[in-house]
Amino acid sequence: MMTSLPIVAGRFCARSACAALFALLLALPGSAAQAQRDSAAASPVEEFSQQLDAFQKSVPDLNRSIQESARTIDGMADVEKARAEIDKLRELVSTLLGAVSDNGPVSQLGVKALDHVRDKLRTLTQETRFKPEERQFLIDQWHKLQVETENATKELDDARAQFAGLLQTLQQNEDFIGELLEIRQAEKALEVIRSLTRDIRDASTQLNKLIGGIKPPGV
Amino acid sequence: MRRVLGLIASAVIVGAAIAACRPTGDVGYVEIKTVPVAAATQTALYLDSIKLAPIRKGSAILRQGVGTRKLQADWMAGSLAQLCDIVVRKNRITTVTVSVLERPPRCQCRFSGTDAATAHACVS
Repeated sequence: MMTSLPIVAGRFCARSACAALFALLLALPGSAAQAQRDSAAASPVEEFSQQLDAFQKSVPDLNRSIQESARTIDGMADVEKARAEIDKLRELVSTLLGAVSDNGPVSQLGVKALDHVRDKLRTLTQETRFKPEERQFLIDQWHKLQVETENATKELDDARAQFAGLLQTLQQNEDFIGELLEIRQAEKALEVIRSLTRDIRDASTQLNKLIGGIKPPGV
Repeated sequence: MRRVLGLIASAVIVGAAIAACRPTGDVGYVEIKTVPVAAATQTALYLDSIKLAPIRKGSAILRQGVGTRKLQADWMAGSLAQLCDIVVRKNRITTVTVSVLERPPRCQCRFSGTDAATAHACVS
């Protein structure tokens, strides 16, 4: 689900500052707005492609941290320290999920890019400035871009589900470990932690493949 | 030249707007699942007073500030029906399933609170 920027922003905004900035943005003189319109018809797609690319590049580093954290936990005999490490892991996964959540920046740009491609295709079918073969060429290119953008957003959906699943696994295990400690079952808690690190490694490897396989549109 | 300056001005203002509106402090996630699964929900849902875009393919994960949110839906005569409270905790996901065929739609929490304060709320 995509909410528009003002909607996404609404809850968190320092409202007056935000309102003023958006008002200023909307009130921009024609030249700037026109410049944006003129600059590049494909800009929302490019923007999405760039954001996606940047996100993909950030994933291996974060994934490496996740793997390292799992390795650290594996060697620990102190349950409390291991719990703190799991907490850190949740933060890492949460950061990744933040980028691809439905109201996160990458997903928002994906929706914007798809809207743009669909609008473009709609207007091109009524376009009379070009020869039929020229128009057909443009339509074919936009169709190609549409397929690529749809594929990328579909893969982002899969990544989002994976991140969410991993975060849920972490939080449920952490809760269980907490309960075990309350009844002084430290040994059992350590077992749970070790089994959790295996799950984390598997999920992390899968995520690397999934994210690495996403092809930004137009590339 | 004017065009370039215009673009730079727009970029600066958009950047500033985004920075000013970026969630500060702790964040968590709300996973909203809708049944039956549809390409996009017809019923408008709200988290507190913020209208959500239609939920695609029966699921959405939304980043939210930590706290308690009210999930509401459009109801008769433009009024909002309150469906349930959702407790958002730091770096955690709270899952809620909304049955959109019922009138008004109904919430089913994956986990409900166990203390008096959260007994009727969805928790993570």
